Amino acid sequence: MTIELKNVTHIIDTQAAAEETMLREIKTGVYTLENPYVKLNPYLVAPLTALIYFQTPEETETTVTVKGKEAAGDMSFSYPKAKEHYIQVLGLYENMANTVEISAGAGGREILTIQTEKAPANVLKPSKIETSADYLGNLCIFLSPTSPAATAAYDYKGDVRWFSTLNHAFDLKRIKNGRLLIGTHRLLMPPYHVTGIFEMGLIGKIYNEFRVPGGYHHDEFEMEDGNILILTQAPARGTVEDMCVLVERQTGRIIDQWDYQTVLPQFPVGGSGTQDQHDWFHNNAVWYDKKTHSLTFSGRHQDIIINIGYDDKKLNWIIGDPEGWPEEMQKYFFQPVGDLSRFDWQYEQHACVVLPDGSIMCFDNGHWRSKVKSKYLPAKDNFSRGVRYRINTEKMEIEQVWQFGKERGADFYSPYICNVEYYGEGHYMVHSGGIGYVNGEPYDLPAVAAPKDAELRMNSVTVEIKDDKILYEMQIPANYYRAEKLSLYCPEDVLTFGKGQLLGTLGVTEEFDTVPDLPSGGPVPDKYGVKLAQEKDRLVMKAVFEPGQMVMLLLEGEETHAYFIPTTKRPFLAMCVGTFLENDERAVEMPISFEGLSGKFKLSLIIDEYKYDTGCEIQI
Amino acid sequence: MIKELNQAAYEAMDKSVPMALEFFSKNCGPCKMLSYVLKDADKQTPDFPIYQIDFNENTELKERLGVKGFPTLLFFRDGVEVERMEGLKQKPAIIKAIERLQA
Repeated sequence: MTIELKNVTHIIDTQAAAEETMLREIKTGVYTLENPYVKLNPYLVAPLTALIYFQTPEETETTVTVKGKEAAGDMSFSYPKAKEHYIQVLGLYENMANTVEISAGAGGREILTIQTEKAPANVLKPSKIETSADYLGNLCIFLSPTSPAATAAYDYKGDVRWFSTLNHAFDLKRIKNGRLLIGTHRLLMPPYHVTGIFEMGLIGKIYNEFRVPGGYHHDEFEMEDGNILILTQAPARGTVEDMCVLVERQTGRIIDQWDYQTVLPQFPVGGSGTQDQHDWFHNNAVWYDKKTHSLTFSGRHQDIIINIGYDDKKLNWIIGDPEGWPEEMQKYFFQPVGDLSRFDWQYEQHACVVLPDGSIMCFDNGHWRSKVKSKYLPAKDNFSRGVRYRINTEKMEIEQVWQFGKERGADFYSPYICNVEYYGEGHYMVHSGGIGYVNGEPYDLPAVAAPKDAELRMNSVTVEIKDDKILYEMQIPANYYRAEKLSLYCPEDVLTFGKGQLLGTLGVTEEFDTVPDLPSGGPVPDKYGVKLAQEKDRLVMKAVFEPGQMVMLLLEGEETHAYFIPTTKRPFLAMCVGTFLENDERAVEMPISFEGLSGKFKLSLIIDEYKYDTGCEIQI
Repeated sequence: MIKELNQAAYEAMDKSVPMALEFFSKNCGPCKMLSYVLKDADKQTPDFPIYQIDFNENTELKERLGVKGFPTLLFFRDGVEVERMEGLKQKPAIIKAIERLQA
């Protein structure tokens, strides 16, 4: 079999080349308001965006309006005075000749038509949208998927007005410079840990990739000074999702870390119904609170939200059902007060948020809804909800002051993922994005982990509530990790030119120091479907092996570097993101970081009793 | 010294000397790899006894010893388990465990 070593250009380099071409075209032409330069999808990953360029003789203000299907759907944005106008066009409709109006100064007005292509099938349409243009205005609800679907933004009518063609994972947040922080599409460790996060403008330009050696999962948080908290892990110790790092914004360097193994007892202590030794905590959210200078983390697999001092890194408190926790930990738990008839603890929760008054909100998935196996609630009898707890850290008392979702029962039940948003007193979003039915019945496990032969139906329900009145509800037939309400246009999201940066590091991939001395088997047999790709910072091998085969990838140069490749998948009980899963369960993906490697290497594979030649060489 | 045992042989053997016991499965990539690691370790500590037991064929013993998966490496001193390694480990970790056992 001839194996091709494919060269894969990093999206930042691809975008840099596209930008260079675009700027060359702009410089070599004469573009006026009447004859502007128009580039649809200029950064190749956001097909419902465009860049318009023109010059005016005098400095003029400009306004761009993407005309809606009806007047309420118009999206406008004004730019300050300039002679050279680089206009970001956001909010185009898919598969439509969009009308875009540009006004420049007094009397200057041009109507353009921008034709977009039909969105791919994974840009799903809502099955239900109930709101008003008055309520949502120019804001959109962004959804990031966990089942096969695209990250997309939906307007008040449920029309998609933005989507990304990259397979992003997990959270999506707007940061102070108006751009988005969003998970990369580069898988680091199956099933869903990716290389890090992108800082991306809405026009699709990626300004930075912040790489983290242990990979990124679930959530991140921009600090006031611009540094970024990123949830990660230390893979060499054999556990996952139990560490947070602080990444320096300018360099991507890790400058601090919080390790939950130092403050919490681990498996099997406090275990939720989904806990195992490998994923004992399952940290799915981080929040920094300036008032208390502390960090709050959600740990799904211990059914707890914990608070840790930012500087001393000591445990301050735990919100959760204290049943079964050891005596020495009980002092960290709260005692419920108030109307106990409506009080419920949260179980396998997500998205902890610290509110201005110090109270805590989260999405209470309610998965299993007990610390005791014999009392686990099946999905059909269960519920999920957004919940707000007021806490008194002096008296260690907790009071449930608000919830939404319990009354909807199993039809709002998500055993995984989801989030809540706080917009102001009495004004919240509750996003139940992980609803699944198998053979018509509410499913007890994440829908993306359902058996392949099952009749599966997924749903995602996003609700906004103000003063206990529902003002927005969208349903869409897939599973979505989080929902965020954002405007597409943002004054701070200024397009700047120049190549994006690859910051931080992937770290050194753990090598295996025992290399079996085996006879040659010749070229790698076709049946393994081996594919090799060389990226800027790593080598990625994909292949299909039977579970239980012994596989090792060798980089043979002046020194030999050997990497053991697991072929038996570790059961991941919390399959938070299924978008990276291959259809063939035997599929294996193994990235090897170039960190620490240098030189020319021959690539070989050990498979069981033989050593095979891939016929490929790599220069690092 | 590496030797494969079954439960009967395990029961009959002298357990007063420090030793390691590996539970493996024939259809397990990490177990196959670990067997090479153990051979490698054995070159460095040839007098230390390492026994291998098939996880699937010695169910009573694995349950008695609380072994839940494979590969699992148990280290015994005077017949008492003093250390356990679950999953594939590298040679330095195994050599250190042997040294701790012999200290």
